[in-house]
Amino acid sequence: MAEKEWGRLPEPPREVVLRVKRYDPERGRTWWQEYRVPTYRGMTVLDALLWVKENADPSLSMRYSCRMGVCGSCGVVVNGVPRLACQTQIAAVASRENPVVTVEPLHNHPVVRDLVTDFTAFFEKHRRIIPHIVRRDMREVEEAEYEFLMTPDEHLSIYQYSLCIMCGLCYSACPVAASDPEYLGPQALAQAYRFIVDVRDEGYDRRIAIVDTEHGCHRCHFAATCSAVCPKDVDPAAAIQRLRRIVFLRRLGLWRKRKVAPLAGPLEKPLRRIRAEYPRHNLVEGADPERQAREPVDIDFREEWLRE
Amino acid sequence: MASEERGRGRLLHNMPGLLQASLNPWLVRVRNNPERLAFVLHRVTGVIILAYLVAHIFVTSATVDEALWESVMGALSGPLSRVGEWIVAGAVIFHGLNGIRLILVEFLGLGVGRPERPKPPYVPPSLRSGQRKGLYLVFALSLAGWALAGVIMFAG
Ligand code: FES
Repeated sequence: MAEKEWGRLPEPPREVVLRVKRYDPERGRTWWQEYRVPTYRGMTVLDALLWVKENADPSLSMRYSCRMGVCGSCGVVVNGVPRLACQTQIAAVASRENPVVTVEPLHNHPVVRDLVTDFTAFFEKHRRIIPHIVRRDMREVEEAEYEFLMTPDEHLSIYQYSLCIMCGLCYSACPVAASDPEYLGPQALAQAYRFIVDVRDEGYDRRIAIVDTEHGCHRCHFAATCSAVCPKDVDPAAAIQRLRRIVFLRRLGLWRKRKVAPLAGPLEKPLRRIRAEYPRHNLVEGADPERQAREPVDIDFREEWLRE
Repeated sequence: MASEERGRGRLLHNMPGLLQASLNPWLVRVRNNPERLAFVLHRVTGVIILAYLVAHIFVTSATVDEALWESVMGALSGPLSRVGEWIVAGAVIFHGLNGIRLILVEFLGLGVGRPERPKPPYVPPSLRSGQRKGLYLVFALSLAGWALAGVIMFAG
């Protein structure tokens, strides 16, 4: 997501008011609750939520894991925008004039409690588009002896989409997902595109049949909010439009996969096997020289590496 | 908001729904996303055009004899219906121009940029490529066309 404040954040206000939308599943009640949270430079929204849980209200529920924008479990709606709580600086969303930060659970996902949303349907949609490499001969993947060959350019054509962490922000921002619960959603469709154009993949016909439906890629109306909120710059909006182009041309019989990556196969030059030496000085703690002498280790090297 | 039994607690359905999604461009208050505004305008203008079309077909098919036709036309020539027609004209202009952009983007995948290695500040290619320039052009041309239609309708 484009951070305008990127690189030059001001000092956050001393204290912010955290307005959290809460939900109690036992009583089926929703309400807004306010907490005053003291801040420090570098504090994120997730830090503020954790401060509340530790110091003010232990009943507040949220979900997080890595605290560094990798796992994608901390998505919440901050001041009306779906964001990763752990990647959103308090200083970026609150100012001295307006120290209120509203935090809601993600839209379009059912709420379990407070800020925790249920991703079952979301993951189910991702699963539906077959999110793995499919080959005519599946043994090439399942009993893989060699890797598939891929050029750097071919990798670049899917790299951006493979950064998806499945945080569900795009799905939460999508106006179509807001009215059609069956819609596959930006995340699943972008992944469908990522696998259809992957040179290593041969399952494109199956995937095209899955996305070429009423609730598939034709539901998208290019509001592009998915790309605007994505924390990983995955650009689902562009992926879906290119996916639709493929589906459209496929219907006209004008699209076919230009290239399918072959298996790498055995090396032209065989590897040289050499006997590895254990370090004789600076022994690792717990290393047993006698056992090392008993069980020597062989390592396969390429000729070129040996010369270096 | 409906809720569904699941285990001990109930899940809260948290979907804004069709009306909110199609009428409120600020449902998600994200910056750098005029495409969302265009999406809402496209829906609203589409409904306006459809309503006009239905009314138009009804009026022209129901008024078979000449006297009735004259009286209906007389009733529809007031200033209020003039303004209504002007709004319909604006809707047609925007819907048509944006429709061309959408056909290029959605069927041919044009103007959404190419995949790249992301660099901060993360602005995805689709939000700074040809379609964005096309969108600004659509906004500018629609405003100009709408103003022109107003001049022709009210000054003429
Ligand atoms: S906690 Fe892992 S992405 Fe925020």
